[in-house]
Order: sequence, then C-alpha cells, then structure tokens
Amino acid sequence: MVKSTITFGPQHPVFPEPIQFILKVVDEKVVLAEPQIGYVHRGIEKAFELNDPKDNIFLAERICGICPAPHTTAYVRGVESLMGIEAPPRAKYIRTIMNELNRIHSHILWAGLLGDAIGFESYFMQTWNYREKVLDAIEKISGHRVTYAMNAIGGVRRDMTNEQLRGLEKTMDYVESSLENIEDVMKDYTIKKRTQGIGILTEEEARRDGAVGPTARASGISQDLRTSGYDAYGDLKFEPVVVNNCDSYGRFAVRWQELKQSIDLIRQCIVKMPSGEILTKSNNPMNGEAISRVEAPRGELFYYIKGNGSKKLERVKVRTPTFANIIPTVTMLSKGCQVADVSVIVLSMDPCISCTER
Amino acid sequence: MGIVEKSRLKSPWILHYDCSSCNGCDIEILACLTPYYDIERFGILSKGNPKHSDVLLVTGGVNHRNKTVLKNLYDQMPAPKVVIAIGACGSTGGIFHNCYNILGGADKIVPVDVYVPGCPPRPEAIIDGVVKALDKLKHLQNGTWKEPETGPIVVETAVGAKPAPAAKYANAAPAPTLNSQPTNKEA
Amino acid sequence: MPGMLKIIFGNLFKKRATRLYPFEKRAPFENARGSMDFAHMENCIFCNLCAKNCPPKAITVDRANKRNALDPLRCIQCGVCAEACPKKVIEMRGQYNEPCYAKRTHVAAQVVKCAQTPPEQK
Ligand code: SF4
Ligand code: SF4
Ligand code: SF4
Repeated sequence: MVKSTITFGPQHPVFPEPIQFILKVVDEKVVLAEPQIGYVHRGIEKAFELNDPKDNIFLAERICGICPAPHTTAYVRGVESLMGIEAPPRAKYIRTIMNELNRIHSHILWAGLLGDAIGFESYFMQTWNYREKVLDAIEKISGHRVTYAMNAIGGVRRDMTNEQLRGLEKTMDYVESSLENIEDVMKDYTIKKRTQGIGILTEEEARRDGAVGPTARASGISQDLRTSGYDAYGDLKFEPVVVNNCDSYGRFAVRWQELKQSIDLIRQCIVKMPSGEILTKSNNPMNGEAISRVEAPRGELFYYIKGNGSKKLERVKVRTPTFANIIPTVTMLSKGCQVADVSVIVLSMDPCISCTER
Repeated sequence: MGIVEKSRLKSPWILHYDCSSCNGCDIEILACLTPYYDIERFGILSKGNPKHSDVLLVTGGVNHRNKTVLKNLYDQMPAPKVVIAIGACGSTGGIFHNCYNILGGADKIVPVDVYVPGCPPRPEAIIDGVVKALDKLKHLQNGTWKEPETGPIVVETAVGAKPAPAAKYANAAPAPTLNSQPTNKEA
Repeated sequence: MPGMLKIIFGNLFKKRATRLYPFEKRAPFENARGSMDFAHMENCIFCNLCAKNCPPKAITVDRANKRNALDPLRCIQCGVCAEACPKKVIEMRGQYNEPCYAKRTHVAAQVVKCAQTPPEQK
C-alpha cells in the first residue's frame, strides 16, 4: 500500500477561504486528514481589549462577514448583561428579524456552494439569485447588504417602519415560493448519490466531538439555543429541526427545513412586533464576567466577556461554531472517504474559516 | 495592439485570494459572478489558477502567515498583470488596523493598481474596479500610462463673518462636494 | 434534474434577473449607507466627536487649520460619525466612493472668504 500525502490549499478553487487540509491517502481513500489553519488570523480578540466597547460592535461584526447579526447580538448581549441593562422589546424583535434574515441568506448561500462543489452549477446560480432578494431586504432595513451595523449596546440603531415590515413580508413570500421551485433538487438522484452516506457522523460521535448547530441536529441531537428564549425567541413558536440521517444529506435537509422555519419566525415577528423605544441608554460601568450564547446559522456562538469597571474590556473570548465543528469534520474525513468527496464533506458542515481564526 | 493584447482586455481572467478578510468581500465577489451582476457578460471568468489569470483580487489585510502566499501567487501570474485591493481591509487594513497580526493593506506586499473602497464594496463597485484596472492595463500595454496624482483632494467651504444672502446663491452652481468630485476624474 | 429543467425553461420566458450594471445604474435604497461626506462643512465646530467615535479612526480633525480629513479607503461606512456629530455636518450618501488608482485623503476645509463672492469652484 502506497501512502501519499495530498495538500489542499491554502489557495484552492474549491474553498473560497484559505485553509489547508493535509490528506493522507491510500488508493484514493483518505485515511487521515489534518487541517492547517492560521491564514486568516487577525488578532481580533486582542483588538477587543484595545478599542472602545462601542467600536467593538463593528469589530465583532467583521469577525465573519456571513453572519454579522449573531456576532454583534452575542457581543452586545454580553456587554448589556455586564452593564445590567436590557434592550427594549421592540429592539429585541428587530434583532431577531435580523438574525433570521441572516440565517436565511447564510443557508441559501451554503446550498449554492454545495451545488458548486458537487458540480451542479445551475443550482448555484439559481440559489444565489434568490439570495439576492434577501440581501435587498436586508439593505432596505439596515442600509447595507453585508454588514448591517444594526445592533447597539442597549438596543438597535435603526427602527423599522411599517412599510419596511410589509415589504419584508412580501420578500418572505417571494423567498418561500422560490424555495419551493427548487425543492425538487432534494429528491434528485445525483444529489442523493453525492451526499447520502457521505461524511457519516453518528449521534455518539457528534456528542463525543462536540458538534454544534445543523451538524449536530443532522445527527439526531436536538440542540438549538434559540429554545432558551433569548431576545424574542421566547415569544415565538418553533421546534428545533432534527433529522437522523447522520450524513451530508441530513445536513442539507436540516438547513432546508431551517430556511422554512426562519421564514415562519420572521412572519411571527412581524405579527407580534411591539411598539416603543428601540434603545436603552446607559453609562453603567462594565464590571464582572458575562457569558452570552447565540444560535448562529452554523451553530452555537459563544462569547465570554470580562470587564474591570474601566472604560475598556479586559478580555473577550469568542468561540465560533466552526471551531467546534472542526473535530467532527476530521472524524468524518478520517473514515475512509474518497478524495473527490472531501470538498462535499468539508462543505457539509458549512465551514467559516475567518470566524474560526478571528 | 495585437490580437493577444486585445483579447486580454476583452476577457480578463480573475484570481481571487482571500488574505485575511472577514468573508464579506469574498461573498460580494462571488455575488458578482451570480445572475444579478453576472460579470461573465464581459468575459470575466474567475479562475483558481494563478498562471491562467490576468487580474488578482485581494481581499483583506495581509498577515504574517499569508504574506508569503500572496507574494507567491503574484509572482506566478504572467505579466502584464494588475492587482485590485478590495475593501477597506485590502486597501489599508480598515477596521483591523490595530490588530497585532495585520501588517496593513495588500500594498505592503505587492504593488496595487486599483483600490476599491467600501466595507464590503457593493458588487457594482467591484465591477467598476475591474473596469478601471483594465483601463490601466490598456494604457500600460500602449505605453500611455500616466502616474496618478497622490495629494489630498481638498474641498473648501466658504464661511464668512456675514453669511451671504440666500438669493444671491439661488442660481449659482451647487458647491462642490466630495462625491461630485470623485478621485478617479483627476487621476 | 427534471425539477431544475422546469426552472431553466421558465427562466427563458421570465424577466431577466441580471442588473445590467454599468449600463443601467440602480438608484441606491433609501437610507443606504454608502460613502461618508462632510456635506455641511460650514457648520462644523471642530469638536472632534466624529473622529473619536469612528471605529477604524478614519477621520482626523485639525482644529487649528479648520480642516477635517477622511481616509476613504479606511472608512467602513458605519455611519457612526453622522450620528455622533452634534451639528449634523456629516451625511451618509447612498452611493459608494469610486474605486481609485491612488490613495488620496478627502479633505474638507473651512476657508474664510468674503461673503459677496460665490464659493470658488475647485
Ligand atoms: S473590507 Fe470589510 S467586508 Fe471586506 S474583508 Fe474587510 S472587514 Fe470584511
Ligand atoms: S463631529 Fe461634526 S462638528 Fe464635530 S468635528 Fe466632526 S464634523 Fe465637525
Ligand atoms: S462612516 Fe464610520 S468608518 Fe466612516 S468615517 Fe464615519 S465613523 Fe468612520
């Protein structure tokens, strides 16, 4: 048996982001996979300590350009609990809407990238076409397509008018109907062949390796932080999406159903939207420690924030969902998959390297 | 201009390298390829191979680990080539300017021809940036390239002890603003 | 792929999705945060609040020479400066700064001029 070593990356057409995978291969079968990271490390956690806490919101937003809403929500909620204040209800609903819009755009983006990795180019184009409508909705609300800058310490920066809410409802109708258009892809023979039974992660392994988010939920673990009822999620009705496929197809299915769930959650938010203030101003000192957890599109996002009563924070630690999902991915890869399936498996956990390395 | 030079301008191939961006710029570049903006209309193709590419798009600030990768990719590209720095990070380091692992914009490592401001720039701005880069490429091929000005753009606003009567200005041309006088016009 | 075929044929008869960008420019949405501009410079009191609140520190306020400078390539278009300014000097425009060949700062200066002459076209 000849064992050969293949290095994927850091600049590789399959991955939009620089990550290196060193694969030990025997006859096209992967026996060992080692991820090599560090190409996008910036040192954001240190910069959190140097900046003003208000400026840090924009820094937290730019940890990841795909999920700015969960990052800022987690940071802002942590600082709020240090200060002992709470956002007004309307602000919480707006935050929830932004988080769910973020989830929709992120999951559609992922579905497109999966199509691209499989070689299903027209699917990629079609999904990204629909995603553009979501981005337009986001831009109408927040003023920017990608970085929303909506959250502020103690609330949100922009209010939503009634027209915007109505426009959002229309967008949701559009997105729902267009998703129905491409739903058949889930039943497609080629997609099934490329994803079913590929990248298996059993429930036990998922628990042992600490998988989070859709990766865990596709392995039958019912774990969704939104059920803890932060922000407006306490008032909304939903059940975490759990399937038992334990493979890439299962992760596809979870994300697909979560898309519909998010559309439903946004509709509920629009109906229940309370009126009132959107910002609680406060100058309380930031003292003590806070942990804030938010369900990002890729899973549980964890912020630990420590303040010492001064104007700046003493320590901010960020643990992102992709970081938690790296070990499960290595487990999936090391089970003897084909080299051609590596990109599908890595994509199936929806890697976001820039937030992993910060 | 020979046929090779002409076709290079008509169908430039792009190499995208993510230095240490936050993904915001990268998904906007990908959005350029998708039906809404569809830069394939102009023959622009995104290639993963540096030896096939004419235009290098750099997103994100350079850090200590990927500076060698970026230099390496740049060196592999055949001349003539242009480099476009996308976004605030690619140009100056942007919001990450005080992170310990960020050296600054891409111009610290490779010569940058066009800067695209924004965080992230809209796909429209990225298309504009590529068009500008091609313009530069054309001038470079013809040998008619003039170095751009580098000084600050100053817009002066008059303030007087007594403000002028409003009627006097009613028909005057509007005061110049930064936006009506964009950088490129002078360059 | 029969499902996809339906869409492909449908797309033949639908309105095109592509924005023909350089030929047809889309107007920016209302309240979009594009480029930042010292629009009403005559009101500026050089209080330095904008520079202090700017997250990437893209603004420098020079009180002695009555000049505010913006590094447009560092600005992240967050709009904090526009919110912080007590005199509403700063405006966020819908459209973006254009790409440029060289790094140039944008300087907005107050100059004391005789009130009778219209502002000089620079
Ligand atoms: S310019 Fe902004 S969006 Fe682009 S990589 Fe930098 S922080 Fe991210
Ligand atoms: S905050 Fe406004 S008034 Fe103060 S220096 Fe800046 S632009 Fe001038
Ligand atoms: S928009 Fe934001 S980044 Fe730009 S100058 Fe204003 S505060 Fe600074």
